[in-house]
Amino acid sequence: MTDVVKPPIEAPKPAPVPAPPSDSVNLTIDGMPVTVKKGTNVLEAARTLGIDISAFCYHPGLQVVAQCRQCLVSVEKNPKLQPSCQQTCGEGMVVHTTDPQSTLARKQQLEFTLLNHPIDCPICDKAGECTLQRLYFEHDNADSRVDVTKVHKAKVVDLGPTIVLDQERCILCSRCIRACDEVAGDHQLEFAHRGDHQILTTAPGAQLDNPYSLNTVDVCPVGALTAKDFRFTMRAWELEATPSVCNGCATGCNIEIHHKHDRAWRLVPRHNPDVNKYWMCDEGRLTYHELREHRLAGALVDGLPAGWDRAIRAAADHLSPILAASRQAVGVVLSAEASNEDNFALGKLAKAWGVGSVYVAARPDVPGRADGRLRVADVNPNRRGVQLIAEALALGARPIAELSADVRCLVMLGAELPGVAPARLAELGIIAITSHERGAAAGARIALPAAAWAEVAGTVTNAGGLVQRMHAAFAPPGQALPGWEAVVRLAQATAAGAAGKLSYTHAREVFKDMTQTVAAWSALVWAREARPLALRFAGSRG
Amino acid sequence: MAAPSTPTGPGDASNRSLKQLVLGRRDVQDLSDTEQELPSELMTINMGPSHPAMHGTVRIVLTVDGERIVASDVQPGYLHRCFEKESEYATYTQVFPYTDRLNYVSPMINNCGWAMVAEKLMGLTGKLPRRAEYIRVIVSEMSRMTDHLTCVGASAMELGAFTPFLYLLKCREWLYELLEKVSGARLTHSYVRIGGVGKDLTPNFDAELTLCLDQIVKVMVECESMLNHNKIFRDRMAGVGAMSKDDAIATGCVGPIARAAGVDYDVRKDYPYSVYPELEFDVPVGTTGDCYDRYLVRIEELKQCIRILRQCLKQIPDGPVMVDDPRVALPAKAATYNTIESMIRHFKHIMDGIKVPAGEAYAFVEGGNGELGFYVVADGTGRPYKAYVRSPSFVHLSTASQLIHGHLIADVVPIFGMINMIGGECDK
Repeated sequence: MTDVVKPPIEAPKPAPVPAPPSDSVNLTIDGMPVTVKKGTNVLEAARTLGIDISAFCYHPGLQVVAQCRQCLVSVEKNPKLQPSCQQTCGEGMVVHTTDPQSTLARKQQLEFTLLNHPIDCPICDKAGECTLQRLYFEHDNADSRVDVTKVHKAKVVDLGPTIVLDQERCILCSRCIRACDEVAGDHQLEFAHRGDHQILTTAPGAQLDNPYSLNTVDVCPVGALTAKDFRFTMRAWELEATPSVCNGCATGCNIEIHHKHDRAWRLVPRHNPDVNKYWMCDEGRLTYHELREHRLAGALVDGLPAGWDRAIRAAADHLSPILAASRQAVGVVLSAEASNEDNFALGKLAKAWGVGSVYVAARPDVPGRADGRLRVADVNPNRRGVQLIAEALALGARPIAELSADVRCLVMLGAELPGVAPARLAELGIIAITSHERGAAAGARIALPAAAWAEVAGTVTNAGGLVQRMHAAFAPPGQALPGWEAVVRLAQATAAGAAGKLSYTHAREVFKDMTQTVAAWSALVWAREARPLALRFAGSRG
Repeated sequence: MAAPSTPTGPGDASNRSLKQLVLGRRDVQDLSDTEQELPSELMTINMGPSHPAMHGTVRIVLTVDGERIVASDVQPGYLHRCFEKESEYATYTQVFPYTDRLNYVSPMINNCGWAMVAEKLMGLTGKLPRRAEYIRVIVSEMSRMTDHLTCVGASAMELGAFTPFLYLLKCREWLYELLEKVSGARLTHSYVRIGGVGKDLTPNFDAELTLCLDQIVKVMVECESMLNHNKIFRDRMAGVGAMSKDDAIATGCVGPIARAAGVDYDVRKDYPYSVYPELEFDVPVGTTGDCYDRYLVRIEELKQCIRILRQCLKQIPDGPVMVDDPRVALPAKAATYNTIESMIRHFKHIMDGIKVPAGEAYAFVEGGNGELGFYVVADGTGRPYKAYVRSPSFVHLSTASQLIHGHLIADVVPIFGMINMIGGECDK
């Protein structure tokens, strides 16, 4: 590899060093000076310099236990090697990570870790994103010296509803134990026995079933814990990652959609210190299945397939006489499950039509869900956004349960109208812009296929009012279009498009119009489109 | 200073026909008596893209005045496979099969060139096991022989001499059979690896190659006796498609074409690589730069190849054929299946690719047609960030239009044959 030219280590000069700010410390790592915040550990300080001290048990979101001994470094004036994850940076500290002593320690530790590791890479779900693979290759890369049989342990241990454990692969780093303790607040995993018989396990008769259990799969540096949902479905390096936001509830956890062949294969949390840190809940993680269930792939008129043009014409023909007769007879339903752009476009259309009643449909709260961590009772990704849009447009929006008796026709976003009696639904002429064919949309007079959250560029607003950007991971099924585009087509067919400004051609145009309308969002800018990152090219991210 | 040969009149350029432009004549009065009697119309005809006398798939749009070529448009690209772009998506090791398809008549040399550029970036140049270097030279020279045998044999056949073609291709087949035994594939060998070669030579390789070379020497004596002083062959080759030394340099010609024109340039001598400095061989240089000289240069190079190969067989040491460096050497299969360490290393090599440090490098070898160079920009990952190939065929083909200018249609065949354009290499 390239030779790193190290500047000579000089004795600290009595230079006129200005008094350092009280909250930062200066130290030298591998001859390079670095200034970090007080309390930072050496491992993190080295990362800021691009030095990757190998580590298994350290996770920036979890408590430090210095258990794996993989991150040992030499600190001058200290006779023994120090675990860099636990070693807090001190003023004037001089650290070496590439000296013979710590290099040897890393190599020996890796050899020790691999001693009883099974030869599972070809069948292991973690292969390709495995920390053990990466660290061995970069820091050891020596041949095996073992000539005795490996210690065998249980291979397929069913830990609970979501996780399968392979005890042989486990390197006993305890990240999962701490993840359960700290993320879920539930001490469900523990080590049993000692020495090379030590295993990870639950208490006898107990299960790993907390609502954040799948985070243990993410933090597992090897393939010991695997998700039942993802197991043996897809090779990690075949996937592509697109950043997005979980649409499972009002928290809006930042995620990566891992997709391939025009479908999502898993969702994994993306670090956002303000929202979800490194984590997300199991329920949110599995929401990607909905992207392939009961999808509406083509426009329907009276339950029969129709092209976009015919469906839009049918909608206009249906709406126009009712609108002409009475503005009160048409209701517009915004959806707390749809993006800001879709809702804003439909809100504008309601304005242009001058309809009397605008409603908001939202999935009812699940009070049992709220746990003071990431899960909240509101299971709608965008209730706050709809609220702000409705206020800004002065739509006088009410909950859909308060549906007026005058309304004969509903133009709705989304599939569900919770709180409306089935008998009432039957007499309504519904024009639904929906990604799924279910609920009220299943009986709609005209159903227009919309793209789901993973298929569009758009924004959602979480409970805290944070507007977060979603990127399109793959193409929507069939003829589905983004919701705002369906609204634009509808507007143009009903002559509202010519009068109003409903001639958007891209989500960012809707967004721009929206930020000019909604005062709270005036400072927001449309982020650049993110290209999917092929994990094959990202190298091992383990 | 001489007066302009063609006086210019008012509105001159726009009124001229193509024929006038090409021939530099203004009107019929300028034509010779014969031409006035039989004024021929210019004709545009296609040669290729699929033509029995064209090497590879290339189209030449000829504008002919009778039998004489007055203009031509050479259109390559029919075999474009995005070699350079594809390389960005493959690991360094996965590029080897792509290089096989560059000059597919001498794939081993391409393999070596690609391996050398990665080795240069990794600082492995000169650190390979000696046996690996010797094997590379052996297979490279065998490939050079297959290249020249094909070129000479096919050209002779296109001029009507069918026997030398069969004889020489028989020789080529002996070499292919040996290369197949070594690498496992007759044509697309993918034999060389970064850090060495894929596997050692076959146990009996020494004797087999010696026998093969002895036979080839005999066949070549027969073929030379059939061609060198053959009146038809010489008439069709000598003085045809000549290129001056200055033109060869100016157009960037290399290899046998440049050497036939008197340019003494051979990468093996001028920028020695591998173990060539330890081997004795001469670089033949021509004088006239015509097709006959190109033929003679190739024949002489064949003899030099045999000379090099015989030395190699004598000098090749025993030992490993792969550098002992876990960053580049795949672990042994037995170890891969039985130890986790080798399994991980194997996995990382195959899935992530051999990590080549960030930087840029150009490595070049003497290919069958001359300097074959690979330029790579590496970004520290297992795949090239950018790759470029300096393919000699591409440069040589760019001179084709000039070389056939003024010649008869029939002369396209020997000129093109001796340019030895290989579609895979030219079109990349």
